Amino acid sequence: MKSYLLDSLENLFQHLAVSHKMFEPQSIPGSEDLHWLPSPKGPTSRYGTSKQVLPLAPAKGFLFPERELLFRFDGQTFIETLPEVAPQVLFGLQSCDLCAIAYQDQFFRQDSYYLARRKATILVGFDCLTPCDGGFCSTVDAGPFVRDGSADLILHPKGNEWLLIPASEQGLNAIQTLNLPPAPAEWRAEREQQQAEVAKMFPTDSHIRTGIERINQATISAEQWQRLGLQCLTCSGCTSLCPTCSCFTTFDTKTEGESNTFVRERCWDSCLYEAFQRETSGHNPSKEAGERLQRYWFHKFSDHYVDEFGRYGCIGCGRCEETCPGGIGVHSIMRRLEKES
Amino acid sequence: MSNPSKKVINTICPYCGVGCGIGLQVSDGTVTGVEPLPQHPVSQGMLCVKGWSSAFALDPYDRIKTPLIKENGHFRPASWSEAYQLIVDSFQAIKQEHGPNALGLIACARATNEDCYAAQKFARTVLGTHNIDHCARICHSPSVAGLRQTLGSGAMTNSIDDIEKADLLVIFGCDPTENHSVLGGRMIQAQQAGTKLLVVDPRKTRLAKLADLHLQLNLGTNIALINGLINIIFSNGWEDKTFIEERCENIDALRKKVAGYPPKRVAEITGVPVDQLHAAAKMYSQSERTFLAYGMGITQYTSGTNNVIAISNLTLVTGQIGREGTGINPLRGQNNVQGACDMGALPNVFPGYQEALDATSQEKFGTAWKCEIPQQKGLTSLGMTSEALNGRFQGMIIMGEDPVVTDPDQNHVLRALEALDMLVVVELVMTETAKVADVILPAAAFAEKDGTFTNCERRVQRVRAAIPPPGDAKTDWQILGELAKLLGYDGMQWPNAEAVFDELAQLTPLYQGMSYDKLELDNGLQWPCNDATPDGTKLLHSGQFSRGKGRLIPVDHTDPAEMPDSDYPLYLTTTRLHYHYGCGSMTRKSPLLERETPSGVLFIHPDDARKLSIQAGTLLRISSRRGEVETRAVVTDDLPPGTVAMPYHFKEAPSNLLTNTAQDPVTKMPELKACAVKIEVVTEQ
Ligand code: SF4
Ligand code: SF4
Repeated sequence: MKSYLLDSLENLFQHLAVSHKMFEPQSIPGSEDLHWLPSPKGPTSRYGTSKQVLPLAPAKGFLFPERELLFRFDGQTFIETLPEVAPQVLFGLQSCDLCAIAYQDQFFRQDSYYLARRKATILVGFDCLTPCDGGFCSTVDAGPFVRDGSADLILHPKGNEWLLIPASEQGLNAIQTLNLPPAPAEWRAEREQQQAEVAKMFPTDSHIRTGIERINQATISAEQWQRLGLQCLTCSGCTSLCPTCSCFTTFDTKTEGESNTFVRERCWDSCLYEAFQRETSGHNPSKEAGERLQRYWFHKFSDHYVDEFGRYGCIGCGRCEETCPGGIGVHSIMRRLEKES
Repeated sequence: MSNPSKKVINTICPYCGVGCGIGLQVSDGTVTGVEPLPQHPVSQGMLCVKGWSSAFALDPYDRIKTPLIKENGHFRPASWSEAYQLIVDSFQAIKQEHGPNALGLIACARATNEDCYAAQKFARTVLGTHNIDHCARICHSPSVAGLRQTLGSGAMTNSIDDIEKADLLVIFGCDPTENHSVLGGRMIQAQQAGTKLLVVDPRKTRLAKLADLHLQLNLGTNIALINGLINIIFSNGWEDKTFIEERCENIDALRKKVAGYPPKRVAEITGVPVDQLHAAAKMYSQSERTFLAYGMGITQYTSGTNNVIAISNLTLVTGQIGREGTGINPLRGQNNVQGACDMGALPNVFPGYQEALDATSQEKFGTAWKCEIPQQKGLTSLGMTSEALNGRFQGMIIMGEDPVVTDPDQNHVLRALEALDMLVVVELVMTETAKVADVILPAAAFAEKDGTFTNCERRVQRVRAAIPPPGDAKTDWQILGELAKLLGYDGMQWPNAEAVFDELAQLTPLYQGMSYDKLELDNGLQWPCNDATPDGTKLLHSGQFSRGKGRLIPVDHTDPAEMPDSDYPLYLTTTRLHYHYGCGSMTRKSPLLERETPSGVLFIHPDDARKLSIQAGTLLRISSRRGEVETRAVVTDDLPPGTVAMPYHFKEAPSNLLTNTAQDPVTKMPELKACAVKIEVVTEQ
């Protein structure tokens, strides 16, 4: 596909805003932390060469909400409640999170609720020119530059200007009427080169590599998992923040006042909960915290899933490290696996 | 395109005293989820399972949305004015016939400071009585009573940040990874980074399993253990002589007392081997900085106040207090139990711990509130229920507490509440207590109001409204203000929460330097915050103790009021599960938390289980001298043989039908941590 020269991010943003609801990471009163929020007025976050900060909560909920209505039962019939989603743009996604959405796209490929939201969504990705704190996307092939096919539009900073790469049909259509000039021919090649340079700027990842190896060679004893499992406080933070985690459970709530009508919802579940796999008989194939932890990390780093999804379940954002109260997020656990072999 | 309604509101988790920052995601007027806040000084991007599921607690489906009046045993919706009129008529009649002390109020340690301030002001001005209390009675009143005698202040002496500054963490009778999870998590992380961990607990808690040393003492032997440790410290010269000399008083009496606790005797009483006692005494006294945290395993005994004093003795003789990273830190249960105490929702003190019967304080508050301050001593919550049974107490308002489930001896509470002429319950949902009410008033939940909570490290933090309250629900201070007006008092007509805060800050020296604007700037301020310390106070007692010198008070070991015997051969202790909170009325709305522990449980050691032919899941009848409940067994060696444990969150299996009402003589704190029970297997068809 052709690529374009964009001289003002503002222009692109306003153009998209004409026919889409715009969302972007922003801070809220009383805190400087970033959250995904409506952004009616224009690009607020600092893009480009400055250091990227990931919002701690990823954009996962836009496509797979924490709670979602599945259907109503009015006492007689079931009424499906597919979401009606107005066209929206997620503006300012980093490569890691885009890889996660691509992963979710595969998992939910037949899920009509997910698809209804996904089809209404344009993904605008930005290349990261410096590593973020705790990130290791380059180790797990998820960044630092946006992967082809993971976004609709890719933006790459070039001084005060931007290389704009439409990366999908939908992306191309969205910018057609902007009539942008083509980008200088050499920019694409320069981008390739720069990606390798940025990748070198990441701190050492030997612990991650060792950990991945040990997980795949199954050289971690049940006792070692159990020791680590003792530190899991089953908060569900890792699974809630992990942009590729997709487990959910369903539950029914009675509709107010009326007796035999109810709604069914689904909500995010966590494989770290003791009852996640408990069967009605009380039997539980993953009763021990260590077994649950092992399963979690197996899902993130096992070669098995590469066959199915084309990549690891971990996209290297480091969010679990930041949120885990027990001190067993990805960096901590991989360091322990490296140290305590 | 138009601006979609989606926002994130920066507020405080409603569950425990840690006070984590949470971002509530709001979509089209409902809270749809939760985000952690990386820059929050306490939670730093973490939350526990309760915090993560707090959005479920806000589901409107079972909320009370209008005032309800009971008629012929059934509740019917009513208007505010009708409900108010009923209360006003009844309270006025009671007051006329029996005097103001036949009325009282129980405030709520989950409500905001603004609500608690309004509650105690209502009692003292409108009702005209010091009959005001809240549930700190059943968690930490011994901390307040004990530490005020020895140090002059009953709060955590350190900040949560000090966990990372300490060389040794001592966890005494509490289970922070389950009950104060984020704080417990920070302890685990500190240990991973090299800090030593010493746990004193009858149960093998998670931290006990991770600890460098675990003293698994017998239930109810805290004082013997501590006196024994001090004895060892003295005999090895490990005490901090300069500190004792300069900052403590009454050392000789303590020396004499602990001489009666030689290691061998202590080992016998506590069941902890002498070499472990020795190791612990050395670790504690010789570490550079020891952060000691304690909880209900200290306070919920008839010896609660003395337990706290014993701990205080230990920290004082070793000089492990008054510096960064070292001190004595009661971990408070509910999110705003610190604030409820600070606000004077207690019978004996005005806001800021100013004595209720002291003439100067009375004059100060009498002038500020433009009223006569009552002269008679107020009743505690147990005092009120006992008086109700004696026919001397007729009208009560309970704000968002569920004493029927959470108080010891459920039958006593239920009978007492039923004996009242007028019980008003201000609640979110139909709790067991609300069912007994004559009038129920619908209250706003934490996400529906502005205000402040004070966490366990004395940090006053802003709570912000994310959504409007459902139906007719209002905040506690609004409800009380309107009732006050109808009862003829004009001094509670505040336009907003900020106005309540400004009034309370003015009258509470600890809060004097605070305002909403200042709280906004830096995720809250830690009290005392006044002209001398405008940025708040991270560390208490650094130069001198609040009371001047630290007072050493010799105390003796006493057995729990009820010990196992041939009729009731096992010890029962109550615990909390970290999935749940208090009476469960909020946490049990989450399908995930509910799934984790579907019904009440009894924890029992494999040895005891074998003797009684009990297996995992066996249905049991547990009885004490006060009542019986049925529940299912969980077999675990986390408990010592001879002791069984029950969580108290479940109305299906309320452990508090069994527990003892025997009380700490000082604070009337009931002995929830130990009573005697027997267990039988129930044959199922
Ligand atoms: S974030 Fe840590 S403590 Fe929480 S569920 Fe995941 S592994 Fe367990
Ligand atoms: S530790 Fe306490 S304040 Fe923090 S999330 Fe858990 S319940 Fe809420």
